[in-house]
Amino acid sequence: MAAVQPRANVAILEERCKACELCVVTCPQGNLKLSTRLNHAGFHPAEFSYRGTKGECTACGVCYWVCPDFAISEIKVKT
Amino acid sequence: MGKNRVYLKGNEAIAYGALEAGLNAYFAYPITPSSEIPETLAKEFGNKKYPEYKFFLQAASELEAINMVIGAASGGTRAMTATSSPGFSLKQEGLSYAACMELPLLIVDICRAGPGLGNLGPEQSDYFQGTKGGGHGNYRLIVLAPATVQEMALLPRVGFDLAFKYRNPTLILGDAFTGQLKEDVEFPEFTPQHYDVSAWATTGAKGRSPHILNSLELDFQKHFKHLGKIYEKYQQAQEKEVRFEEYHTEDAETVIIAFGIASRIAKGAVNKLRSKGMKIGLFRPITLWPFPAPQLKALASQGKRFLVVELNMGQMLEDVKLAVGDGVTVDFFGKWGGVVPTEAEIEGKVRRLEVIAI
Amino acid sequence: MTQVAYTVKLGKLDSITEAPTHYCAGCEHGILTRLIGAAIDDLGIREKTVMIDSVGCSVLAFNYFNCDHIVAAHGRAPAVAAGLKRVHPELMIFSVQGDGDAASIGLLELIYAAKRSTPITIFLVNNAIYGMTGGQMAPTTLEGQVTTTTPFGRDVHMTGTELDASKLLSGIDGAAYVKRVSLAIQEISSHRGSVYTIKNLLDAKKAVENAFKVQALGGFAFVELLSTCSINWKMSVLEAKRFVNEKVVKKFPLGLYRDTYGVEKQ
Repeated sequence: MAAVQPRANVAILEERCKACELCVVTCPQGNLKLSTRLNHAGFHPAEFSYRGTKGECTACGVCYWVCPDFAISEIKVKT
Repeated sequence: MGKNRVYLKGNEAIAYGALEAGLNAYFAYPITPSSEIPETLAKEFGNKKYPEYKFFLQAASELEAINMVIGAASGGTRAMTATSSPGFSLKQEGLSYAACMELPLLIVDICRAGPGLGNLGPEQSDYFQGTKGGGHGNYRLIVLAPATVQEMALLPRVGFDLAFKYRNPTLILGDAFTGQLKEDVEFPEFTPQHYDVSAWATTGAKGRSPHILNSLELDFQKHFKHLGKIYEKYQQAQEKEVRFEEYHTEDAETVIIAFGIASRIAKGAVNKLRSKGMKIGLFRPITLWPFPAPQLKALASQGKRFLVVELNMGQMLEDVKLAVGDGVTVDFFGKWGGVVPTEAEIEGKVRRLEVIAI
Repeated sequence: MTQVAYTVKLGKLDSITEAPTHYCAGCEHGILTRLIGAAIDDLGIREKTVMIDSVGCSVLAFNYFNCDHIVAAHGRAPAVAAGLKRVHPELMIFSVQGDGDAASIGLLELIYAAKRSTPITIFLVNNAIYGMTGGQMAPTTLEGQVTTTTPFGRDVHMTGTELDASKLLSGIDGAAYVKRVSLAIQEISSHRGSVYTIKNLLDAKKAVENAFKVQALGGFAFVELLSTCSINWKMSVLEAKRFVNEKVVKKFPLGLYRDTYGVEKQ
């Protein structure tokens, strides 16, 4: 059986992220968390996974609006 | 009497002069002895004779006024404010910003006695503040000093022209005497020179990249370069825009140097002294910045002596001394606090100097 | 296998540049930038918008908004905006100012711009402290709040009580739209435990849009946006959000203070 394609995708510009965690705490489905990687500014940037701790990403857009640095740069949905 | 001649106060002449020069917007706070300027412009608002005159507002403070002028000038319009010495102090911040943002604007300072509240009498109190910059940083104002009501009527044309030519604030430095003086004035036909503002004015970024009018530059090297360009402009102005009047200086042994109201009184003294056979002349700077230093140096090299007459404690005096250099006799006669010298007093001073010189 | 196609639901805004911002982590200035950018794009006014940058944390906003800018002196933004609007009434002009810029040094300019019904839009980012200069007392600093110039807590007998700009402007006839919102995300309890909602942000987004609409109608629009300064408040980002939603809103209640055109009823 073919893998289910994600219904939505959140693009994160890692170099912009300042690890404020606003996206992490506001995501209703738990799709975002701080990664273990470090960006050039020394922050652990947020990373997105389609299957979150509470459910799948619905492209609600909360992370987009809450990110103060435009690190959450683009949210795509399956057409 | 010519059909175009009117009998006006100096302040009124400046207001009408600005209107004839194509004034678009005026913002100011009333202050004696310059209040006739906003009063005249308020009265003439809506007069179809001045189609360019679009907006008048009495601002809530001098600070509000100069910043509104900055806003209007940023839009590429001919904006102006007028004030007197204590108000001129308040506007220094705005002028510093405008010079760094390279904004054309016209400001009029009808000087009164200072410092502090002083009084309403005439003083040439703000020569330093006008020519050396009362606001912070490296900048210059182009400074024009009228001596007659006719000049007050015509200098706004020069003021706006130079402001737009050099993208720099321009100051008309008057005084309480000439502001209140009434004389005949004519307004010759005039078409203002058109300056293209589309390269910098903030009129909306339609079909072009954004214009940013800004004085903040956190990168020191970039700021050094930006100010360097402004410095080049000032060099150009110093070469091209000096204006002055010479009166009987060719064969004069002593030349009185005076501007504004002091030059009117000095001219009378020169006439009296000439009628008594003394070789006295008058050199009258019209631009206080750029200062006519090369012209004064030339007169000094002819062996002439100088008497600087000012209604202050010796402000232009310093620029004269700087211009003529060492080994040149430069004397000073000053009155301040609102007191105006008489022709007789200037005459007497010249005579005493002539005696000493012999 | 069929090719999956995606469309962009939320993405780059025309009114915002590509430049990364200098704001601190979690700072509401960044959020406000996106809200304003989205409003300008949605209303299609980018090409006739001019921003008046003020002195404060947002002084470098000319790097972030893709429109014309004039950088004003401290407190003078409403006067600069008024001067430009009077000679170019077709432009949409807005400023973003801090509590020091608008409610301290620039209070006269703010009040008179409102008094004269000047058709401009002013956004006041109120974080109860002077952020850019390192954490001194602001007119909006709360009683008892520790800042670098009130190290023992703000003493209202000496310094007066907090200045409520929205309440002040609500009494000015010329102000057409006065609204106070919070840009701080809110923590609420739900069946899932503690969650954070962005309801405040969505209210703020509407207020930002209304503020531009009111200018288009010819009125003076003012929105006060309660914000945090986690660095100078010496709190974590989330602690700071809690402080706003629990303590600051008590002194500065959210709400609609004036709506002459009735834009909120539409």
